[in-house]
Amino acid sequence: MAAIPTAQIGDEELVASAQKGDRRAFEELVERHQQKAYRIAFDFSRDREEAKDLSQEAFLKAFTHISRFDGRSGFYTWFYRILVNVCLDYRRRAKRTSTEEFNETVEGRVEPSLLVSNPVSPDQQAIAGQLSRRVGAALETLPAKQRMAFILKNHQGLSIREIAETMETAEGTVKVHLHRAVTALRQSLAEFA
Amino acid sequence: MVARDKPALKVCRNLEEDLVLYYYGELSESARSNCETHLKNCEACRASLAEMRSLLPMTAAHEEPAQAFWDDYSRELRRKLDAVAERETWWRRIVALVAPLPVPALATGAVLLLALALTFGKGLWQPSAPAPDDESFMEVLPIAEQLDFFSDMELLDNLDLLETLGGQGKGTA
Repeated sequence: MAAIPTAQIGDEELVASAQKGDRRAFEELVERHQQKAYRIAFDFSRDREEAKDLSQEAFLKAFTHISRFDGRSGFYTWFYRILVNVCLDYRRRAKRTSTEEFNETVEGRVEPSLLVSNPVSPDQQAIAGQLSRRVGAALETLPAKQRMAFILKNHQGLSIREIAETMETAEGTVKVHLHRAVTALRQSLAEFA
Repeated sequence: MVARDKPALKVCRNLEEDLVLYYYGELSESARSNCETHLKNCEACRASLAEMRSLLPMTAAHEEPAQAFWDDYSRELRRKLDAVAERETWWRRIVALVAPLPVPALATGAVLLLALALTFGKGLWQPSAPAPDDESFMEVLPIAEQLDFFSDMELLDNLDLLETLGGQGKGTA
């Protein structure tokens, strides 16, 4: 019997295989979700190294606890709940320890060769860089939960219900977080509008 | 980017949250309809919505890491997974050894281990120094003994006194 290409296998089947100890199945799940996971972690931390560590930590936790996944929600929701908790925990830890100037870490600590360069003019690059720094700084001023709700909605396109499920909170609370985040960001970034 | 004059108009406060949800397509059918009706007649809210439409997508723009980054990422994560799997295997081996045994056998084994530890561990255990509590007790003990001695002496003195008094009493009688 010919093996089914992993791309055609659903997350649920991969999870079932991973629960039986199939490491390859788990690695396939990682490949499917790593970019989104990294992106969320990056938008949250605004630091590439931190984003790598946070998203990898979430995958390691998922790997360790995969046997506890009961399939009541999708793997996506379950995994993103882990990721969100890892990010929020990181924020709590960072609040306690970090006194670094945020702007120094924004977009920092990354080899330029590891970024996809876009063919844009130096002016456009400068504006994009400036906007990126300002967005980073504006996001940084938001309380962690507001920031996460905003990232999941604005950057990831999750529905309010999915965000509530991922953040383990009420939909009304997510709406309030989102509204406050948007209001604060609009004030911070008004000049770019 | 050129800074633009902000609209001087004030957004309707009661519609602020709904406008955000409208922008994200998260309003119910009826609320969306109400919002659209309001937008037709309110310039400030229209301007606010336009601002969200121009600003919010920009905040989501980002530079995508190149393939080399993802290769590194995968390699590093695989290494971390190996380490976790190794730890897991270690535990699983122990659990696999123990799990098939019936509960009474496990309980007997645990009791035997405890008995062996108590029997053979007793000879190995040598108290090197008295515990702090013992030390303080040893310091207090002689003082307590001395106190007993002194109280006995006091009693004897009192007996002598009583005898003397008794003698005097007899003499007078």
